[in-house]
Amino acid sequence: MSPQTRFIPKQLLRQEFLLLMVVLLEVGFFLCTAKNFGTSDNISNIIRHSAEIGLLTLAMMPVILTGGIDLSVGSLMGFCAVMFGVITHDWHVATPPAAALTLLAGLLAGAFNALLITALRLPPLIVTLGTYSLFRGLAEAITQGTKTYRSFDSDFINLGEIHWVGMPIQAWIFASAALFFYLLVHRTTFGRSFRAIGFSPEGTRYAGISVQKRTALPYLLTGITAALASLLFTARLHQARADAGMGYELYAVTAVVLGGTSIFGGTGTVHGTLAGITAIAVLSNGIGRVPAVFKAGVGGELAALLTGALLLIALTAPGIGNHLAKMFAKDSTNLEKLKPSVSQHAQKTPILPS
Amino acid sequence: MKRSQFLTSLLAVPAALLFPSCNKTDSAGRKLTIAFMPKGKGNSYFIACEKGAREAVSELGVELLFDGPTNTDPAKQNEIVENWTTLGVDVIAVACENTEGISGALKKAQQKGIKVVTYDSDTTQDARSFFVNQATPQGIGEALMDEAARLCAEEGEFAIITATLTAANMNEWRKFIGSRLASKYPKMKLVDTKPCDDQKDKAQSEATNLISANPNLKCIMAICSPAVPGAAEAIKQAGKAGAVKLLGLGLPSENRAYLKEGVTQSVILWRVADLGYLAIQVANAVANKSLNPGDKTFKAGRLGELEIEGSSIILGKPFLFTKDNVDQFDF
Repeated sequence: MSPQTRFIPKQLLRQEFLLLMVVLLEVGFFLCTAKNFGTSDNISNIIRHSAEIGLLTLAMMPVILTGGIDLSVGSLMGFCAVMFGVITHDWHVATPPAAALTLLAGLLAGAFNALLITALRLPPLIVTLGTYSLFRGLAEAITQGTKTYRSFDSDFINLGEIHWVGMPIQAWIFASAALFFYLLVHRTTFGRSFRAIGFSPEGTRYAGISVQKRTALPYLLTGITAALASLLFTARLHQARADAGMGYELYAVTAVVLGGTSIFGGTGTVHGTLAGITAIAVLSNGIGRVPAVFKAGVGGELAALLTGALLLIALTAPGIGNHLAKMFAKDSTNLEKLKPSVSQHAQKTPILPS
Repeated sequence: MKRSQFLTSLLAVPAALLFPSCNKTDSAGRKLTIAFMPKGKGNSYFIACEKGAREAVSELGVELLFDGPTNTDPAKQNEIVENWTTLGVDVIAVACENTEGISGALKKAQQKGIKVVTYDSDTTQDARSFFVNQATPQGIGEALMDEAARLCAEEGEFAIITATLTAANMNEWRKFIGSRLASKYPKMKLVDTKPCDDQKDKAQSEATNLISANPNLKCIMAICSPAVPGAAEAIKQAGKAGAVKLLGLGLPSENRAYLKEGVTQSVILWRVADLGYLAIQVANAVANKSLNPGDKTFKAGRLGELEIEGSSIILGKPFLFTKDNVDQFDF
């Protein structure tokens, strides 16, 4: 057992565990009530429809972990989609180098965010609020808000449809990204410092870690990930338009926070984030397949409502739980009952290795 | 512990899927299920469409699923089509926001044996069996020109306000306006054509300019929907209500006040509810195989016998909204 395990706040473990329960509950509920929910076609739908937001969520997680935020990811998707259209259609570049150039454009846009945030020490919320308008504005300026790029390479369009070893290609891309972010955040010293930075930037600096340099990386990653998401989105919709990814930044922040990452930074895990994405993706697909819901045609609206409710419950449940625990604790007998269970766990872990 | 949790959270979904106990895959009941999608649910045009669709549904005794993006959103349209496909509906009728982009999703539905028809705006031809077309460019162009001639007593100067000079559909309409003008109304003269970029404000300033630059102007024809109320406001402020006639292509609801004040004389559009009604009739007939590729006419309930051009079913002649009938419509 790795030494840092016992330093993970208990509450965090609890939220992840609860969220896992929520996902299982959702799946069980929808298997019973929703029509054709567990079919392979539908699972493929769930993955394909949530891949782009899922990727943005994964990239958003380290940003929020460092105590920052990136509100520009959705707009950057629009900008990158338009850039891909320009590069392929107006500059007549073949698809693979065009895709590479689009990723580069995303990386540069991310670097622009990172530069303003780390070199000029501006607050991430304000910087990315600015680039949120800037990137979308650029995309709209390039297309005059009306132009849509169509007719892409058939091989490229197939990216939006094909399956690989029984799973849509998006599943493999998403899984690779998830593995990458998991290893980065939890298995490298560089990535582990994100948590320290989010917890206490000053303290981290005194510990001899170059805070600004390390804070830059997550923004570069959101930039390139937004570009990747824009390519998948373009392949899936067969079109590149300035409105791609509109509002996706808030879905991503929602999934990260639902996954147990503190919006103030310092705590959070990638697997929690994965559970957060899954909870939202399963909910929004499943609710639309419950007969009463799809007959009324309110799947999208209800999904948004329930996602919001889920987020608020997830955020308030630990607080309410603590409050209830304190109320019980006033009663001394209950306090005695509570104590062993808490300390048991705390003591057990160090004992185990010996 | 950490690692095992990570794995379980990954495995949760497939593991739960193995519970076979209540995994429902049965198809819908015996009633034919028609899934009907607007470009945007909040759009009053499509709310009127839905009304007509519901009328046809109760006439035919089929089941209707009505859903679409809250606002126009091509990604959401694709998503809903793909979800309907896996729900196993019988027919999908859709007004496409993104001609090419939705075709992949519609073709997948066809591969699963689901019939596809489009209405209002088409997808690619190979992704649907029929397109329910509200009006042909010729029908729209000629209706506009005939009405302008009627308002001007077939004599005098008129001007056109369009969205942009490059908009394909409007250029097509203008072509038919021009040919009708040349062949039937020799005493009328088109003095100017101005773009308004689909903006009401710009239409208003263009109309003001047209009125002051052309003292003999008898009529303005606004062929994009924001231009009709825009031009009406300009005529009203110039104090030319009635002196400069105004007609256009737009929603009756947006022009009701100006029609009643006598600033706008006529608004041309199809009966939108009939479009929804016809779309359901066609969807039902395609599913019953009573309408097949190659048919020349189609009997559409209360709309009677309609013409088929290739694989487009034409709703009929555009409808004229005036101050006398505008209150009967709520879109």
